[in-house]
Amino acid sequence: MEKNFKQTSRTGSLAWLLQRLSAVVLFVLLLFHFLTYHFLTRTRAVEYRQVLERAQSWWFPLLQFAFLITALYHGLNGIWSVLEDYTTNKHWRLAWYCLLLTVGVVLLFVGTLTIIKLYTLKVG
Amino acid sequence: MAMIDIHVKILRYQPGKDDKPGWQDFAISVEDEATILDVLNEIHWRHDGTLAYRRSCRSSICGSCAMKVNGRNVLACETPIHRFGSKLKIEPLSGFEIIKDLVVDLEPFFAKLKRIKPYLIVDKPLPDKEFVQTQEQLEQIGESTLCILCAACSAACPSSWPNQEYLGPAALLKAYRFVFDSRDDGADQRLEIVNDKNGVWRCHTIFNCMEACPKKIKITEYLSRLKVKVVENSL
Repeated sequence: MEKNFKQTSRTGSLAWLLQRLSAVVLFVLLLFHFLTYHFLTRTRAVEYRQVLERAQSWWFPLLQFAFLITALYHGLNGIWSVLEDYTTNKHWRLAWYCLLLTVGVVLLFVGTLTIIKLYTLKVG
Repeated sequence: MAMIDIHVKILRYQPGKDDKPGWQDFAISVEDEATILDVLNEIHWRHDGTLAYRRSCRSSICGSCAMKVNGRNVLACETPIHRFGSKLKIEPLSGFEIIKDLVVDLEPFFAKLKRIKPYLIVDKPLPDKEFVQTQEQLEQIGESTLCILCAACSAACPSSWPNQEYLGPAALLKAYRFVFDSRDDGADQRLEIVNDKNGVWRCHTIFNCMEACPKKIKITEYLSRLKVKVVENSL
């Protein structure tokens, strides 16, 4: 039986802690997102011009980027945790890990581009 | 006390003889205050002597008779049939190899328990008479010491089913019991063992273990405290 209990990895504690911290950060960012986007508007309806003005204030890209990073980490780490439950083969684990890493990098790239685009778009 | 008629379905399996487990039906009469164990005894003694199941103390303290009844892990000896009605579906615990009928192989379960060193480790000089604990120190581990090792929690844990290497809630609860024991000096050793991908991090606070525990131990809560302790210790 001893072979069944080989130590596998010592990163569990950090991943567990970061998952909880990112959840708290996400909750705060989400509240801020709802407040700034949907509630603290000058007009009753949310208007394109208003959204764009806000998107081009100095704090908005920083907030969105923090949101993007935290959501990506939290989501992908959660999926990885589920995959680890059901994948015992180390080759499959590596394959899933690489896939998640690729998805993360691609989404980070696309998300960053969107934030930059919103920031630099001319208000017509 | 009155006699009632009940219908019992039992998952039967004998490796080497049967290809796969199959259901067998029994229509029997038992007292309305009967337990699941009484039902199994009735079947074994009067209907089919080949039925295999574990039993010992009949007082919910030995942990031998854990099994699945109508989808729930229970101790057969302490569970009255009226909790489930007149139709019973009895199966062996999930996640373990079947030896015969309702008897499962618990060797892996106890091997995992041994892995976390389930005994007091004392490095300091022994006291003259006894270890003194405050009420608070005792209360910290009090409920976790009630575990009777019936394996109902580990068999109910979805994280245990696909991953036979996962230590499981019973072994982790035992680790908690000693890590948080003021008399014990082996916390670092145990925390190192449970700080593993197949250790405490496979617990996703699903709460099935708590629901299955016949002693109503708040296992998930204790495992969460163990996780925090590991983090405090390793960062």
